[in-house]
Amino acid sequence: MKWLGRSWFTQPWLTIRVQLALGALFVIAALPKIADPPSFAHMIYNYRLVPANLINIMALTMPWVELLAGLALILGVWKRAALMLIGAMLVVFIVAIGINLGRGNAIDCGCFNVADAGKSYEQRIFDMKADVLRDLGMLLMVAQVWVAETSRSAAAKPPL
Amino acid sequence: MKRPIVQAVILVLASLVLALAANALASRQRKVVLAGWYPNATTVAPRTESSQVSATSSQPAAVVTPAPAPVVPTTTTLAPPNVGRASARPDGLKPVPHTAPANSQPPTANSVDISKFQQHPDKPYIEVAFDDVNALHAKGVLFLDARRTSVYEQGHIAGARPFSVWESDLDEKINKLFEERSSPEQQALPIVAYCSGGDCEDSHMLAQKLWGIQFNNVYVYKDGFPDWQKHGGAVRTRATP
Repeated sequence: MKWLGRSWFTQPWLTIRVQLALGALFVIAALPKIADPPSFAHMIYNYRLVPANLINIMALTMPWVELLAGLALILGVWKRAALMLIGAMLVVFIVAIGINLGRGNAIDCGCFNVADAGKSYEQRIFDMKADVLRDLGMLLMVAQVWVAETSRSAAAKPPL
Repeated sequence: MKRPIVQAVILVLASLVLALAANALASRQRKVVLAGWYPNATTVAPRTESSQVSATSSQPAAVVTPAPAPVVPTTTTLAPPNVGRASARPDGLKPVPHTAPANSQPPTANSVDISKFQQHPDKPYIEVAFDDVNALHAKGVLFLDARRTSVYEQGHIAGARPFSVWESDLDEKINKLFEERSSPEQQALPIVAYCSGGDCEDSHMLAQKLWGIQFNNVYVYKDGFPDWQKHGGAVRTRATP
């Protein structure tokens, strides 16, 4: 049953695929936001969590963090830094969507698309729940690459 | 463990520099001001019955002459007072104390009867429905479209000007409007702001900005452009009013 344990979880063939997929997802997510900051600012406003004077600077900066972190993962440089940033952003997304689900404030998540999709209240609530599940899945991907990276580093260290 | 944290900070700082550079080079419609002015940014709006939002319209222009309608304000919701007062105003817009209207009837260029639409200096806006909007449109009242300019260009109420609250040139447009209507008589003329109806609040934000610089007779078309189209109102589909 070793394949179910940590050694299977940290297999290099799995890690490289997860790392590339996670990086690609963040690059893809960043592009429409970089292309249209006012729409992304509107999305952030809809969450009703960010103080007014921080909305625009957040709308400008966050997509570039996503892009650089995603590219770092794809290129395999500064992997832990990129994983920390991506993990932190995913936690923030999950908490933000969760709070709005709790408040009954139906919003478009603005994760991969910043255009108003014209959805109904019920559709938006359903999509928000799906978004939380998707983000939890991506958080699992972060954990996989992080654990694999830690194992690899530990194995590479010479014994004292 | 320390090195990844330093690298993460470098990535964030690099992102900030790239973001500021990209914003500086962006076109007007894609640029944002660094410190936005959005009233109620952390307050959840009550859910509206019509949560279906249609932000875009690709329908062809339907040029219809609006039917004359009796001017009977069907005021539904009053904006909360003291929202977006002068203290919360953006840079470049000088605070102006609100004063009570000098006369009960707003003057108009052609002396048509829009006497029901009086100044309301104690509140930023009054929400109105199609009948009132149609009457105001027929009288040539100024209409402001608070949606994104790209959406405005796809179709807007005939004669409306683009005043997107999310784009960087809003303050410039408002200042220009203030210069156009610099006298108290002109500022007393009604203005209608609209966006996409449903839970869209862009028109409300625009109205609060206008109220901050002495425009005390602003109305928000609560059902917005989709409702206007539904009623067959005059629509234009180009970049100009």
